Amino acid sequence: MLYREAGQFKTSYSADQAIFPILQDRLFVIALIVLAFLAPVALAAAAPGLAQYLFTEILIPFLVFSLAAVGLNILVGYCGQVSLGTGGFMAVGAYAAYNLWLRVPLVNDLIIVFLFGGLMAAAVGILFGLPSLRIKGFYLAVATLAAQFFLDWIVARVKWLTNYSSSGSVAVGNLTVLGIPIDTPMARYLVILAVVVVLTLVAKNLVRGHIGRSWMAIRDMDIAAEIIGFRPLRTKLLAFAVSSFYVGVAGAMYGFLRLGAWEPLAFDINRSFAILFMVIIGGLGSILGSFLGAAFIVLTPIMLNQLPGWLGLHMSTALISHLEFMIFGVMIVFFLIVEPHGLARLWAIAKEKLRLWPFPH
Amino acid sequence: MARAAHATGEVLLSLENISLRFGGVKALTDISFDIRKGEIRAIIGPNGAGKSSMLNCINGFYHPQEGRITYKGVTRRQMRPHQAAEQGIARTFQNIALFKGMSTLDNIMTGRNLRMKTGLLAQALHWGPAQREENEHRAFVERIIDFLEIQHIRKVPVGRLPYGLQKRVELGRALAAEPELLLLDEPMAGMNLEEKQDMCRFVLDVNDQFGTTICLIEHDMGVVMDISDRVVVLDYGKKIGDGTPDEVKASPDVIAAYLGTSH
Amino acid sequence: MRASREHTIIAALCAALVVLMLTPLLRDSVRLQDWLETLLGGLLTGVLYSLVALGFVLIFKASGVFNFAQGAMVLFAALTLAQLSGAKDVATASFVGAGAVVAGTAGLLALAGWHRARAARESRPPGARLQVSIGLACAVLGGVLAAAFSGRGWPMWLALPATALVMVALAYGIERLVLRRLVNQEGIILFMATLGIAHFIDGAGQTIWGSDIYKVDLGLPKDPIFLLSGVFEGGLLVEPTDLIAAGIAGALVISLALFFQKTRTGRALRAVADDHAAAQSVGIPLNQIWLVVWTVSGLVALVAGMIWGAKLGVQFSISLIALKALPVLILGGFTSVPGAIIGGLIIGAGEKLSEVFLSPVLAKTFDLAGGGIENWFAYMLALVFLMVRPQGLFGERIIERV
Repeated sequence: MLYREAGQFKTSYSADQAIFPILQDRLFVIALIVLAFLAPVALAAAAPGLAQYLFTEILIPFLVFSLAAVGLNILVGYCGQVSLGTGGFMAVGAYAAYNLWLRVPLVNDLIIVFLFGGLMAAAVGILFGLPSLRIKGFYLAVATLAAQFFLDWIVARVKWLTNYSSSGSVAVGNLTVLGIPIDTPMARYLVILAVVVVLTLVAKNLVRGHIGRSWMAIRDMDIAAEIIGFRPLRTKLLAFAVSSFYVGVAGAMYGFLRLGAWEPLAFDINRSFAILFMVIIGGLGSILGSFLGAAFIVLTPIMLNQLPGWLGLHMSTALISHLEFMIFGVMIVFFLIVEPHGLARLWAIAKEKLRLWPFPH
Repeated sequence: MARAAHATGEVLLSLENISLRFGGVKALTDISFDIRKGEIRAIIGPNGAGKSSMLNCINGFYHPQEGRITYKGVTRRQMRPHQAAEQGIARTFQNIALFKGMSTLDNIMTGRNLRMKTGLLAQALHWGPAQREENEHRAFVERIIDFLEIQHIRKVPVGRLPYGLQKRVELGRALAAEPELLLLDEPMAGMNLEEKQDMCRFVLDVNDQFGTTICLIEHDMGVVMDISDRVVVLDYGKKIGDGTPDEVKASPDVIAAYLGTSH
Repeated sequence: MRASREHTIIAALCAALVVLMLTPLLRDSVRLQDWLETLLGGLLTGVLYSLVALGFVLIFKASGVFNFAQGAMVLFAALTLAQLSGAKDVATASFVGAGAVVAGTAGLLALAGWHRARAARESRPPGARLQVSIGLACAVLGGVLAAAFSGRGWPMWLALPATALVMVALAYGIERLVLRRLVNQEGIILFMATLGIAHFIDGAGQTIWGSDIYKVDLGLPKDPIFLLSGVFEGGLLVEPTDLIAAGIAGALVISLALFFQKTRTGRALRAVADDHAAAQSVGIPLNQIWLVVWTVSGLVALVAGMIWGAKLGVQFSISLIALKALPVLILGGFTSVPGAIIGGLIIGAGEKLSEVFLSPVLAKTFDLAGGGIENWFAYMLALVFLMVRPQGLFGERIIERV
């Protein structure tokens, strides 16, 4: 009843092309963002212990992986170029950010550090996107594995990158944004939230404009796209660059604000798969889907860890991790069979139903 | 009926001695003809005559081994398809080549892409110039949507549309580029009578209202003879006839190719 | 004209590769003997890569599915075999194993029977009842065998067919539960589905069999052989397992080639590979064909898993080592059986030689923390070839049309 667009008439193309053309959607999203900023602050004041857990284990990973998933979705879902090298690009972002932060004390502001990580990842992304001119589909997917393994190797072996630490792990501390120290889980969360909100808005703008259309044209039919005037290589490389930028920023934030200290293993091939799964389960070609997919992949293991306890069963951690594998596998296949467009499509269908409720005829 | 309302006689595109081979297979052999500004030029011929290959040569998708293509007075041998598009050649395809995951509106908007210049940063913010540009082109596209009478399917993903409407959307996408030369590959194939009539009307109107030069491939002889100014006939990759519909109809070679000869 | 230029480039690349492989010999510190030993070791590892790649190629050829789960299937086969044959100390493992074989087979057969019975409600097909009874018979047989051998592990002559049966059941399950529901989907969707399958099989294999490291004992001679001891001092050291592996791989390839070329099923397979719909329209049962293909590649996975398990022990990393088969594929082409073999040999040899001779040089020059370039060398090598020939060395040329 509340969710009706009757009476909302568009009088300009701008209004028709808005991100959320329906008033209720707009209000809902604004409220959600405000809530995302304020509620945790309130919670942190009321129940610090719970808030700490919520920030570190759930909200921060969720947001960081959402951003990575948005980035990968731009490449896979919008431009149709499958990549299995996400972990490698996250590593580039994290280590580039680390080195800037370490070696140039003048610019140790986190925002600049993250941007640098993203830009370096974008540059490397362009490099590894070059084969996409000649290689398509599965061949390209396998070729991106080359990026994953090569980048993994670089960060593990080039001593300079890890500042000659003996174990290959690096650590950061005394982080600031605009001079404000970022030392509590809540502060970290708020920084990440701000970055994610801004970058998500940017992603949405890109995909609804002519750049987004050029990506989708390449995805849907590359030959036709070239014939009507798109330059395939330029379009694909732009997708690689933008996607890797997002993934790189996510990698930097994951290292700096979630882990604090990390080693190359944090960005191995399993990370790549996990983020690809977020995109598939959430919905290919949907920004919203990236968030839903990330939520699913972040929350499932947590639930699985808790479930045996609630049911009074005793399970070893190894068994739980195997079960996790199985459940993810089944979910992937399930979604591909039942709803190839993922959670985002289910959400859209629910909204469609809601628009007509309670009189569907 | 020969109509030459817009035909000025000035040659827009000329093809000289075009030969195209795929390995040992000769798709086109020594073909020459021209397309004049403002006319509707038809290419006809039996299946496998090389008609689509001819279009593919014109818009740079295939590169003929021999021959010269002169477009707007500039001779070229090799170019990438997107360069042809940049020079004002747009086309539709025999098997519809729409972007299936996108809406009708977005598909037609892709036709405006060459004219959209705002960069990454402006796009990212979707503010000022980017939004202005988007709105201007949207207004243009809306005119095409009105012209083709497809307002009701504006936001429908084209994958869900019936065949006839998809063909129409594809024409819309080509028109959105405001081409000087429009290549139509069997625009009426697989349509019923009513849809064919609609499509004929659109083709004539495009030629009439915008002065667009059109080169089309079509199998329906009635349609071809009705709407085209001049016709070129291909058979087994060779040119066997060229002229006004009446001349072509009377040519013995053409009759032989279409009806067979008694040896 | 174009093709010949391409051939020249390929030939040049191959020549460059050979020269690169030979360069270590120019260094004084490298003995010919060491080099040959490394090359041989690399080639024999390459045979294993080839075996895994072969499974990929079979499925891709016949169904256009890029089966990412092939590695997981190798692991699963190896785990099953190891557990059934070798669990001498864990009495229950054998029992659990037998139970799983049986339950899996029986369950799938029964499910299929039920399906068919439901599909043809009026006339219950006799096959349905047969399937259910075969399933039950398997269950009883498995139970008896498990009881008989509990505590000792099954002898290899029994464990091997039992594992083969498990692989057939697995293929059956994949075809039934996943592929059949994804007919006519785009290749990339199918690929992602196999990613899911791979995760599931990895998880399931370890949940059922555990994730310790097991040994597969094929009863092969273990003592290294020394070849050409007349030419070189001490001869060339070769593991007999490797030689036998190469022999098995060769036999497998020949029989597969014969199967594809000479049998009716083989011809049907090639038809399906060409065009699903066309094959269906001339009466080739798509589902059965897919079942056959997945079964065959399951059995190839079993052979690979068996050899690999005997060589290196069975552990989770087998699933990851299978990632090494991917560059073999892009090098050889997704659709070529000889491509898989030759690609495997090139990758195997190139990787070993580069690791032994190039890695230390790199590490010294660039001050790296160790070598380990074999992690990516194969991929980079494949990528270079791919830039010249996007369809792989032996793959079919893709013709673009509008």
